[in-house]
Amino acid sequence: MHSPSQLKRDFLKQWLKGLQMCNYPKKEMSILERKKAIKLSADVAMASTRNATSCWSLALIANASKDGNNKCLVEHLLGQESERLKMASTFQLAILNKKLRSKKIIKKSCSVRRVKKLAPRMVLASSVAKRLAKNRTQLLKSLVPGGESMDEFSLIKETLDYIVSLRVQVDVMRCLANASDLLNCKGVHG
Amino acid sequence: MSNRRSRQSAEVSRITDDQIIELVSKLQQLIPEIRNNRRSNKVSASKVLQETCNYVRSLHREVDDLSERLSQLLATIDAESPEASIIRSLIM
Repeated sequence: MHSPSQLKRDFLKQWLKGLQMCNYPKKEMSILERKKAIKLSADVAMASTRNATSCWSLALIANASKDGNNKCLVEHLLGQESERLKMASTFQLAILNKKLRSKKIIKKSCSVRRVKKLAPRMVLASSVAKRLAKNRTQLLKSLVPGGESMDEFSLIKETLDYIVSLRVQVDVMRCLANASDLLNCKGVHG
Repeated sequence: MSNRRSRQSAEVSRITDDQIIELVSKLQQLIPEIRNNRRSNKVSASKVLQETCNYVRSLHREVDDLSERLSQLLATIDAESPEASIIRSLIM
């Protein structure tokens, strides 16, 4: 796994590239438009540092590419990688859907046997606990990109990776914002 | 055939339970709320999941706020100063 500082450098490089791409064509953007562009380039940059090794990054890129306006930007940002990443994400989505469908089939065929399995107390406790946590996992699924199609185990693994990347993203963005603030103040008063 | 399937799913869930516990403890270490407030290991998985959701949501909000802040900064930048040209050359 990359060291955090290496990750920050990679993210910053990709993000600045994206910002320049966003800002170059239209100098006169509304604040809201500019904010969306900044956020989009940050998200895509963050996903690209993962280099297709995690589900959430592929899902993020796939979602970003769905919007017609963003599609060009995403493709330019990722450059040569974009075709490969797009193929990887469609491939992955197909596999996950297949897994989900076969899981449902197995569940249905085992449902009769479920009643007998509940007898041992430890199994009962863990299945009850799992059912209680279902609301929480549903919530987490909605927060992590691509989470809806993951099973519980992968969801937690993806969340770990996602949180690390989000922290890097927040740290770098905060540094840039503070630095720009300082520079701007200096410019006004200096 | 259905015997094999039900045995298989029982085996799978046994493996997954242990590994889920391990992953949940990793999550515990990542989330500052839990790491700072509770020294003991007695945090339920449900609580960890809840704090995880809160943490992810707060990170999302921060990204949003920072994007807004940067956007306003870029909009109000004083065009003449040398400092502004640094920022402009970086970002624009």
